Amino acid sequence: MASLGVAALACAPATAQSPQLQTFAPQQLKTGAEIYARNCSPCHGARMLDPQGASDLRKFPRGERERFINSVTRGKNQMPPWGGLLKPEEVEALWAYVVAGEKS
Amino acid sequence: MKFIASAAAVLLLSSTAVTPQTLDDLKNDGKNADNILTYGMGYHQQRYSPLNQIDKNTVRRLVPVWNLSLDNNWGEQAQPIVYNGVMYVTNARATVAIDVASGKQIWKQTLEWPPETPRVVCCGVSNKGAAIYNGKVYRTTLDAHVVAYDAKTGKEIWKSKAAEWKDGFSLTVAPLVANGVLITGISGAEFGVRGFIDGWDPETGKQLWRHYTIPARGEKGNETWPQDGNAWQIGGGSAWITGSYDPELDLMYWGIGNPAPWASQSRPGDNLYTSSVLAMRPKTGEVVWYYQFTPNDAYDYDACWELILAELNVGGKPRKVAMQLNRNGFLYVLDRTNGALISAKAYEKMNWASHVDMKTGRPVETDIAKSIREAKATEHWPSTRGAKNWEHAAFNPQTGLLYANTLHEGRMYKHLETKPHVVGQRYMYIENLPLPRAAGEPVGHIEAIDPLTAQKKWRVPLMDFQIWSAMLATGGGLLFTGKETGEFIALDADTGRQLWQFQTGSGINAMPVTFTQNGRQYVTVLSGVGGLYWNIAREQLKDKVPPGGSVWTFALMPN
Repeated sequence: MASLGVAALACAPATAQSPQLQTFAPQQLKTGAEIYARNCSPCHGARMLDPQGASDLRKFPRGERERFINSVTRGKNQMPPWGGLLKPEEVEALWAYVVAGEKS
Repeated sequence: MKFIASAAAVLLLSSTAVTPQTLDDLKNDGKNADNILTYGMGYHQQRYSPLNQIDKNTVRRLVPVWNLSLDNNWGEQAQPIVYNGVMYVTNARATVAIDVASGKQIWKQTLEWPPETPRVVCCGVSNKGAAIYNGKVYRTTLDAHVVAYDAKTGKEIWKSKAAEWKDGFSLTVAPLVANGVLITGISGAEFGVRGFIDGWDPETGKQLWRHYTIPARGEKGNETWPQDGNAWQIGGGSAWITGSYDPELDLMYWGIGNPAPWASQSRPGDNLYTSSVLAMRPKTGEVVWYYQFTPNDAYDYDACWELILAELNVGGKPRKVAMQLNRNGFLYVLDRTNGALISAKAYEKMNWASHVDMKTGRPVETDIAKSIREAKATEHWPSTRGAKNWEHAAFNPQTGLLYANTLHEGRMYKHLETKPHVVGQRYMYIENLPLPRAAGEPVGHIEAIDPLTAQKKWRVPLMDFQIWSAMLATGGGLLFTGKETGEFIALDADTGRQLWQFQTGSGINAMPVTFTQNGRQYVTVLSGVGGLYWNIAREQLKDKVPPGGSVWTFALMPN
C-alpha cells in the first residue's frame, strides 16, 4: 500500500499531462509487456490488437491512470481482481505498457 | 438382491416411489422418457430422444409453458437433469431444483467462491450440469470442489476439494456416475496444471482414485515428454467434458485436453496423453487403451469433448464405435473395444495436416504446421478454437448421421518464446489474431454428417454468428439448438430447414433436452450468454443481447 501511495503521488502530475508527454523507463515497459502477454492478452487481445469481449485498451483514456490501477487491482465487471497476484509496481508497469508499449 | 419376505417386498415397492434412481436406471437412461439422468441423455451421449409428439408438423404449435430466472449474469451452459418430475439445473453460482410441471423453484443452493477465481478460468465462468444418483445431486464448483446435495431438500451432504484454484485448477465439468463411482475431470491446461480424472465415493465424498492424464516418471508414456526438466508436471491435459460410458464393456471414454504451453518448443515428444482419448475403468481409473488424436499438439487441439458411442455398420459388420468431431478438423471413428482406428476424415477446411495415416493413426502434418512450429506467424485452419468446439453434436441411430454446429474459422497464429511457468498464471505463449474475412465466407455451419465418410448430407451456412449450443435430435425428425442472439430453433433433420423459432431473453449457449411428464413432451433449454463465444462475440452483440440466465420449457399448445 505504501509503495502504491508513493507511486501514485509521484505520478500524479503526469496524469494531468497529455499522453505524448508521458515517458516510461524501457525496463518498465518490458515488464508491462511480459505481464500483459501472459495474463491479459487472452481476453484483451495479443498486443491489444484483438480485444474481442474485453475492453479495448487502446481506447482507455490516458488521463485516467487511477481508474486503470483500481480496475486491475480490484476487478471490474467480469474482470477478476489482480491485486492479490500482481504487485503495485507490476500494475504500474501494465499501465505504462497500455499507454506507451505498442506505439507504432 | 431378491427379497423373499412379502413385507420386505412391500417395503421395497413402497420405497420405489421415493427411492432415488439406481445404477440400472442410469444405464437405461433414454428408455424412460420421463427422466434425463445422465449427461448427453444416455451414457452413450447421443443427445437423441425417440420422442415424436413434437414433429415436423406439430412443432408450429410449440410454445413456452414456463420460464424461471436463474438470477445469474455469468452465463448458462448446463444440461438439465430430470428425475421424477424435478429438474436440476446448475450454473457457476447456484444449483436449482424446479418442479417440471409448474416451473416453480423447489430449492436453490448458492455457491461462494473467491472473486479472484475467474483468473484461472480460461473460457467462461460456467458449469455444464449436475449428476444424480441414489438421492443425491452432484456438481463441481469453479474453485475446484465437488459437492453432493440431498436431491429433495438441497441440503449439502458433503463437499470435497479436488484441487487448489490458486494453482490454476478449476472445475466446470458435469460429473459422471459409472459403476457406482462418481467421476470428475479438471480444467486448467491454460495455466500449466497437470491434469487428472478423479473417482469419488458418491456417499461420502472420499476420493477413491486419481488418475493423472500425464504419466509420472517411470510410468509408461512419460518417455513422450522431455526427460530433463519438469515439462510433464506442467504439461496440461485437462478433462473438462464428461466422459461417455459403455456399461457392457465397463469402459468410460474421457477426452483429454491440450498440452501446456500451447507453444510447443519446450516440450518435444508426443506428450501423452494430451489431445487423446482415454478408455478407463470407472472403479479404479485404470487406463485400458488410449488413442492420441494430435501428437505434440501445437494448436490447442483439445480433445475434451463428447465421444459419442454407437453401433455402426462398417464394411457390412456391426462395430461398437466411439466417434468424435475433433477440434483438429478430423472426424474420428474408433473401435471402442480396443481403440483401433476405423476412420478419420476431414470435415472442415484444414491446412495444418493433409490426412491421417491409417497405419499409424497419426496426422500427417503439412508445411503450414512446420511454419507454426518454427514460430512464424501463419494462417492456420482450423483455428485454435477448432473445426468444432465443445457445443455437443447429436447422433440419430435411425438415420446414422451426426448433427453438429461446426466452426469455419482460420486465424493468424504464432508461437511466442516460452517463459518459465509461474504457478497459477497463464501458460500459453501464442498470438492468435483474426484474418480478414472474405465476402460470402460463412463463420460456421449447422450440418448433418456421415460418420464414416465425413460427407455432408446437408449443410446450412451461418453468415453472422457461430452457434455454440449443443444439438438435440428427436424421433420427431427434428433438431433443436440455440443461437447466441437468443433464438431457440427447431430444424428439419432431413434438410436443415428451420421450422420454428422462439426468441428467449438472452443468448443461448447451452444444451437442449426433451422429456415427458404425464404423457406430454417437453423441451427445455437454458438461455443466458456466457462462455468462450460470448468472450469472442461480445463486442458485436453487447448492445443487442443482454445477459441474464433463465430456464425455458416448451410444449405443444393443445389443438
